[in-house]
Formats: sequence, C-alpha cells, structure tokens
Amino acid sequence: MDQQPNHEPIAPARADRQTGTEELRQIVSFRVGDEEFGLDILRVQEIIRHQHLTRVPNSSDFVDGVINLRGKVIPVIALRKRFGITQEPSDGQARIVVLEVQNMVLGFIVDSVPEVLRIPESAVVPPPRFGKTERDYVSGVAKMDDRLLLLLDVDRIMSVEDSQAVAAAQA
Amino acid sequence: MEPLINDPVLLQEFLTESEELLQGADQDLVRLEALPDDEELLNRVFRALHTIKGTAGFLGLDPVVQLGHRAEDVLSNLRRGQLKLTQPIMDALLAARDQLGIMLADIRGGGLKQYSLDPLLAELQRVSSCVPAVPTPQDGAKADSVAHETGDSPDVSPKPALDEETAAVQPEQKNPAPQALTAQSMRVDVRKLDELVNLIGELVLERNRLLQLAKEIGTGRYEARGSDSPLSHSVARLSFITEELQAAGLRTRMVPIEAVFSKFPRLVRDLARSVEKEIELEIHGQETEIDKNMVDLISDPLVHLVRNSLDHGIELPAERERQNKPRRGKIRLDARQEGDHILVTISDDGRGIDPDRVLRKAIEKGVVSRERAANLSMREIYDFIFLPGFSTMEKATNLSGRGVGMDVVRSNLKRLNGSIELESKPGEGTSVRLHLPLTLAIMPVLLVKVGEEIYGVPLRSIIETSRFASQNLHRLEGREVICLRNETLPLVRLEALFSSPGQEADNHEKKIVVMTVGDTRIALLVDQLIGQESTVVKPLGHSLGQCQGIAGATVGGDGRVRLVLDPAGLLLSAAQSSSQEVLQ
Repeated sequence: MDQQPNHEPIAPARADRQTGTEELRQIVSFRVGDEEFGLDILRVQEIIRHQHLTRVPNSSDFVDGVINLRGKVIPVIALRKRFGITQEPSDGQARIVVLEVQNMVLGFIVDSVPEVLRIPESAVVPPPRFGKTERDYVSGVAKMDDRLLLLLDVDRIMSVEDSQAVAAAQA
Repeated sequence: MEPLINDPVLLQEFLTESEELLQGADQDLVRLEALPDDEELLNRVFRALHTIKGTAGFLGLDPVVQLGHRAEDVLSNLRRGQLKLTQPIMDALLAARDQLGIMLADIRGGGLKQYSLDPLLAELQRVSSCVPAVPTPQDGAKADSVAHETGDSPDVSPKPALDEETAAVQPEQKNPAPQALTAQSMRVDVRKLDELVNLIGELVLERNRLLQLAKEIGTGRYEARGSDSPLSHSVARLSFITEELQAAGLRTRMVPIEAVFSKFPRLVRDLARSVEKEIELEIHGQETEIDKNMVDLISDPLVHLVRNSLDHGIELPAERERQNKPRRGKIRLDARQEGDHILVTISDDGRGIDPDRVLRKAIEKGVVSRERAANLSMREIYDFIFLPGFSTMEKATNLSGRGVGMDVVRSNLKRLNGSIELESKPGEGTSVRLHLPLTLAIMPVLLVKVGEEIYGVPLRSIIETSRFASQNLHRLEGREVICLRNETLPLVRLEALFSSPGQEADNHEKKIVVMTVGDTRIALLVDQLIGQESTVVKPLGHSLGQCQGIAGATVGGDGRVRLVLDPAGLLLSAAQSSSQEVLQ
C-alpha cells in the first residue's frame, strides 16, 4: 500500500502499476477536527487557501458564505460546522476543497489537506452502521496501517443537506 | 423520403434561416392584408416560402415541403394576378405559416411529429382554385402538383435557380427591414458573444482591483511615488481602454427592439378578430437598440400587456361609437432610450381603469384599511393592480379590470432590474410604462457599509442619499418611517433585516439612501457610504436558496465577493418583518 504523500499532478490510478489486477483509487485526504476524511480525486477540481467568506443573508442554512474563485462566485460549506465540531482550527492550514456536485461548483472548508493517497479497492469497507444520521454520506471506510479514512459521498452530502434544509423550512 | 443529407450543422442553419424568414413572412402577410396590391411584399413572402421549401426538400423534411409547396401555389397564383387576396386566403396563408413554425420548432426540439395536414392542405388548395382560369391539376396527387410546380416556376420567376441561390446565401436581404438599414453584418452565435462579454466583465473587475491598488500605492501605502507615477498613468489608460472595450463588447449584443415588436401586428390582428374589435396598432421607435438577452425576457410581459389593452382596454366598436370615439381603437407601442435605460410604453385609447373599483377591491381584499384608502394617491391605487392575487380576483368577478397576472409581469421586470408604472384615465385610456436597463451585464452600484459588511445598491434605483437625523424618525402603523422634506418614507434597517454582525455606527453618523421600487420609495439606513463602482453582477445560483433582498454578487476591488441588493426584495422583506412585529 502506497502511503507516500503525492503532490504531483495526478493521473487516474492505474491497476498496471500494481502487480496483479487490483484497482487503485486515488483519494484526497483532509482533516476536519480529529478525523480524517477522503474524497475521490476525480471529484476534486482544485484546492485553494482559505479566504474571506462573504455571508449571504437569508440564504439556505447549509451554506456558510460565498467566495470569489477567479471571478466566479461559488458557495462554500464549512465542514466543521457541518460535522458539529465547534472549536476553531488552530493554524493557518485551512483549505477550501473545490468540487462539482450535481452540476454546481462549491467549496468545502477543511482544516488541512495533508496528502493524496493511493488505496487499493480491497482496503475500502462499507461504513459501520452505528453512527449518527448525518454520517449517512460516508460511503466507505478505508483501513490503513494505523488509521481510518472516512470516504465521503459528496452527492449524498448535498442531498442530505438539501433535505435537511427543506425539512427546516417546513418546520 | 430519407433525408438526402443528414448534417446537424446544415440543419441548424436551415432552422435559423427559416425561422427568420417565417418571422419576416408573418409581418409581410399582415402588411399585405392592408396593401393587397403590393407586389414587392407578395414577392418577398413567396421567396421566403420558396427558400424554406427548397432547403427542406434537400434535408428530406417532407411535411414542410408539402405544406410550403401548397402555400407557394396560392402565392404564385396571387402573383400572377389570377387570384385576388381575400380574407379566407389570408387566413389560410397565415395558418400555413403558423404550421410551418410549429414544424420548425418540433425539428429543433428533436424531430418532426405526426401532423394532420390534410385539412390545411385542402383549404389551401380550395382557396387557390377559386379562380377557374387557373389550369392547375386539381385532382392530381402530390406527385402531380410537384410536376406542376416545376413546370410552373419558369414563368413565376424567370431564373428560379439563381433565385434560390441568392436566397440561400443572403437571407438578410430579404428581411423586411428597409434597404437603408442593411449594413454589413455576419451571423455570430450568441453564446460566443456572451462569452466575450463575460470575459470583458472579468477584465472590468480586474481593472477595478488594479485601480484600487494603484490608489493605495498613490497614498503611500507601499511607499511608492504619488499619483503622478507611470503606474497610475498606465492604470488610467488601461481603465479608459477597458471602458471602451466594454462598451464595444456590449454593442455587439445590441439588436433593434423590432425583434420583439415585429410579432405584434399579427398578434393584434388575430386577437382583434377573435374578440370582434377593430384595432389599429401603431409602432414607434422599433429601431431602439436593446441587449439581445433582453429580447426573449421582455417579450412575454409585452404580449401580456398588449393582450390586456386589447381584451379589457379597447371597447367594442358599437360601444366606442356611443361614446363618440372612433370605431377603431388604437394601441400604441413605443420604445426609446432615456439616459441609461430604455422606456417602452404600451398605451391604448380604451375605457381606462376605474380607480374606485380598484380601491373597493383593495379594501375588500384587506390590502388597505378604509382609513388609509382615503389618502391614497392615484399612483398608489393603481399600484394595487400589481399585487399577486389581486388581478385574478378581478377577472373572476368579471370586472372591467385589466391585469390578469400583472404581478407576474412586474416580477418578470424586476428580475431584469426594470420597473413598471401604470397610468390611466377612466374613459380615455391606459398607458403602461416599462423601464428597462440597456443591458443586463453591467450595473453601476453605490457601495454602502452595514456593520462590517459592504453591499452594493443599484445606482439606478437610488434617488438621493442624506444624513440620518433621528428627530425625523417616527412610527406609523407599527412601522418606522422617516420624514424627508415633505415626504414620509418607510425606513428599512439593513442590519436588522440581514442580522449583520459588527458594530453599528453612531446614530448621527448614519446615512440614509432613498430608493425607488416601482412607484414606492423607501429609505435604507446604512452605516457608511463608500463610493460608486461599475460592477458585473452574477446571479447567486439556486444552491443558496431564495436570498430575498439580494440581487446577485460581484467581485470587489479587494477580490472579495460583494453582494448587490435587490430593492424590490428588500421592500418585501421589510413589509414581512414589520407585519410580524405588528402581530407580536
């Protein structure tokens, strides 16, 4: 298993690098609070430094603000807030992970983005079925030597958020 | 028949060209009704149909060919003087044109459908055969009539091949626009222009940013040279060029408003006939230029307003005569540029709107209290017509009122940063004025600070700004109002509405910005006025929810996102929050 940090421009993982036929997945890992999460690299458009958020009054609850991404205005969601972690990040490592979900570009604020990992398909197991409901958007858990990576299903994050927002509006 | 050529690009070109030709034919036909002997008009319609039919045959669009051919028969008989233009003929021709339009739309939407063309084809044949002198093979099958057409064409137009060729190469020449207006032009995909204008927008934002940096350097923040430096000269030049480029870029997208107006002669004709009214449509200022993107957006509201005039405004001929008015009602469409916006007026000389009736309804509906109703101005009364639900109720009770869905018209206009005003004199007519921005792309805003946040207020809705004086603040029916000279304006506290974070300024440092929303004026209370800026406003997108009171976002000189206010939405939220206060 390859755990070396990889900051090169990334090509899709290819099985032929491995002996055997096993598929490798490239995962962008990031930290929010004490936990480590992962996103399929093909979903990630870019990762930028944290920047000033402009609050949008009267907007949906799940959006924390908007930023300027080279002239484009994109909504941003603070995953800390989303995951119920209240304490502020301690250093200037915060990043915004920009991705496209359901035809819209949006950003997730995370504490840090340490590395890109190659994970064999076999190391990914389904998530345990005990967590809180908001963890519905964890599509799998990648087990590595000494740590666990929660793989996020971004489509589900948005649909969960949407339905929560709708539910809140109806309440 | 299998298409001879299956080429999507060709098909697209055919559609674009044919749609233009049909649009032209529509106007020409309606004009032809008034001037049945105008050969030029007749020839133009004939050529349009001929071109469409020709290309359609090439592309294997059978029903189009069939219908086009039969309509062409009628026209060619008219051209040769073997047929006199009558009402049934005109109706049949217009029906054929419409059917062709439907087919083109279907092709655009994916493909031809099943049509029952037989009644229309039979009707066309019937009207064209009204003259015994024409030796057309009436009993012939389609193959026969094709043969007949080919045999026919030499004497319809001496050089049919050439005719078709020029038609295909230079469709502009056949457009109904007068000769003088035909300038050198080329067809460009609107998306390309949009892209260009977007890029210019980015350039403007970057220019703003550079201007600010140069200013900061000028004030010694970076210990560089003052405002006389080569840098500030260069930035000034860049700024000038950017502005020119922006104007030029926007001009490429401007089209005459004729693109919208041109469908009205036909619409008015058809509607007038269906309600048995006599109506004359006057169109002025159709050369006024408007952003191409606005064309589609204002079309529906205009149709709605013209329909209203026709339906509810203009009286029946007999009734008009009783009132010593000419039998023929008049609807006037007028467009002109006024400063930085376009003014479109739709007026009629119909029965007008009775303000008492409107007021009665408003009171009944609980929109206004009886006491307040006594003091309302005419403008305020007519304003009720634009309230949601107000108009439908009028329709249901079948009162004189126009305005089914006037609220929709208004909200459509608001989306375009436009506004609408209505003026009416009972017995004399109604006139509706639409104010539209020249373009949707660029908006000058006034930057204001509220708490620690900066917002842009669209300049065109601002009347004035002034210092806030707390002795002018009063409460009226549970709402805060401010007296400014002789006017009483509802006060909107932005920081409360937006629950803005940050320290409020002291009362005596606050400013008010007086804005108009349609006919209503409101005073916006802000902490600080910062300055003016030309911005490119982008929509926020649906993911953020409704965001009432926010029109969009722009990128400021410091690279941060700045929100631009929507005065109409603000007024709405202010009304909602104050009514909640009253309830509590």
